[in-house]
Amino acid sequence: MRFHFPIFAFPPEAEALRAEVRAFVADELAAGRWKKGGDFASSYDPAFSRRLGARGWLGMTWPKRYGGHERSMLERLVVTEELLAASAPVAAHWIGDRQSGPLLLRYGSEAQRAEFLPRLARGEVFFSIGMSEPDSGSDLASVRTRATKVDGGWTISGRKVWTTFAHRNHYAIVLARTGDAGAQRHAGLSQYIVDLKSPQVKARPILNMAGQEEFNEVVFDDAFVPDDRLVGEPGNGWTQVTSELAFERSGPERYLSSIRLVEAALACAKSKPTPRVREALGRMSAKLMALRTMSLAVAAQLQNGEAPNLEASLIKDLGNAFEREQIAVFRALGSELPGRSDDYLSSLAQATLYSPSWTLRGGTREILRGIVARGLGLR
Amino acid sequence: MSLAPVLAADALVEEAASRAFSGLAEKWFAGRITREDLLAAVEQLGFADASPTSDGEGWLAAAAIIRAQARAAAPIDMALLLVTGERAAAIAYDPCAYACAAGARAPASPAALAALSLGRCLQIGAAMGAALELSIRYVQDRRQFGRALAQFQAIQHSLALAAEEVAAFSAITDLALACAAREGIASKRLPALLDAAALVAGQAVNVVYDMTHQVHGAIGFTQEYALHRHSLDLLRWRDHLHLARGGDIGCAERLGDAALEAGSAWRAVTASMTPGDSP
Repeated sequence: MRFHFPIFAFPPEAEALRAEVRAFVADELAAGRWKKGGDFASSYDPAFSRRLGARGWLGMTWPKRYGGHERSMLERLVVTEELLAASAPVAAHWIGDRQSGPLLLRYGSEAQRAEFLPRLARGEVFFSIGMSEPDSGSDLASVRTRATKVDGGWTISGRKVWTTFAHRNHYAIVLARTGDAGAQRHAGLSQYIVDLKSPQVKARPILNMAGQEEFNEVVFDDAFVPDDRLVGEPGNGWTQVTSELAFERSGPERYLSSIRLVEAALACAKSKPTPRVREALGRMSAKLMALRTMSLAVAAQLQNGEAPNLEASLIKDLGNAFEREQIAVFRALGSELPGRSDDYLSSLAQATLYSPSWTLRGGTREILRGIVARGLGLR
Repeated sequence: MSLAPVLAADALVEEAASRAFSGLAEKWFAGRITREDLLAAVEQLGFADASPTSDGEGWLAAAAIIRAQARAAAPIDMALLLVTGERAAAIAYDPCAYACAAGARAPASPAALAALSLGRCLQIGAAMGAALELSIRYVQDRRQFGRALAQFQAIQHSLALAAEEVAAFSAITDLALACAAREGIASKRLPALLDAAALVAGQAVNVVYDMTHQVHGAIGFTQEYALHRHSLDLLRWRDHLHLARGGDIGCAERLGDAALEAGSAWRAVTASMTPGDSP
């Protein structure tokens, strides 16, 4: 086999944690603190993020000296799974907890870790990803945003797009060109922690197809960034960016985007399920088990210090196709759901309108299949 | 905290079995195989001694042997031998015939059904893997329009899709195997995992059958080339798996009922994947 997904079981302490998270979610819903809404990229609630921080459910795997909780990657997976399965508003802390924090832990300076990680773990500061540009989508190495060395730091000029919640978050980790691209095109890139509230940085929300303001165009107009905000080594940006990808592509956010629709349909059908509804729920469950088994394997491999980037890409492509399929299946079953609820109708509308973004964000379907093909030795 | 995988590979058994089975398959396709050759291979591998149906530990060795047999398309049906113990039945297997309902009796006991289903899943996964590997080698060698087929993006993506399905099916099969090895073949949790595996097999076989033949062109559709052995195997085993479990709609309805009973598809899925107590 070209790809390996070893079987791991959740340790008992992880299952105890699952019960704890479910009880917390039930309390939050009973108290009306939020309604089941969008997904990890659309449902933004800083107060909710702070409550998670207070419970120790942000920065879970990070060292205690940086405000983390030194729990396992699998325990973190339990928390993210349960929050996503409940369609909880996780967007504010999502990127920092999943990606920016681990990046700083791996490549950041001691001062950067001490400054940012405890605040991320408390749910007090929120990060965006500054990668895509108007002329650089899938071809990330072609970014033109430029960082120029000046006395005491760097000035950044250029434009980033699709920067989710840049108009509300505090910082973005920006990928910028600092030197020659070289023959492989991957040299000469560097990453910076940029203050999104700086006067030389302007975020303009771009209204999406569903009518929501989530992503942005961000313009950097000679924005000054002090030396101590450079992440890792200058010129090492490509290696650093690609190291984030296994975290970004294998998680449950890549196959749970339509779970709210499935659960809403199940709730409508519960009293009188037709054979077709039972069959659809069963087919969905079978695929979900397979995806979850793979996702768990990648989480355990990350825990053991491996970098299963190929496997992560494979999970994302399969997971996105699965998420999409559920929309078609459970829309067609609408006439077999007695008393179609508002929850069913609104989750169907939301999933339908957002689904084009699922197979784009975090690596398009075409890029992912190319990575899988490379893993097969075809390119 | 470091984590160890639940399933350890049985590399030595696998290697010995692979050698034994590839020899058998070559003889078979050269038309030089005897009944004695087949029986000798079963004896030599000590398959009967593994007795995985009564002893969970034996499943890892049995799985290695079953997979090796399926990868080599050797004419011994190790999954059927596992359940029936009838060596005569096992060597009646004709690797060039495809009959949808052939030998598709459902075993009498739930444990025997679980053992047969798991054996079929292991075979299907190995046969799909072999068909994929053959396809990868073929598109690297075959040239059209002045370049290897592997260099065409359409070909790359077709095989990527097939590889994804193989990976998903292998993962769910390994999950069921881990359950059997840990909790025994009579585990209460196992039937739901095998229903899930049967459903994932349904789609995976369709995609792999489609893509591997498509990239091979006409040569794959002949008995002169090896792909057909794996295709016939995986079609036959897929159908037998579904028939033995009461049809793929039956598998889906049972899993759907579990979701309805739990009041949540997510809760049913997490519950069915949570290990019970070891025996």
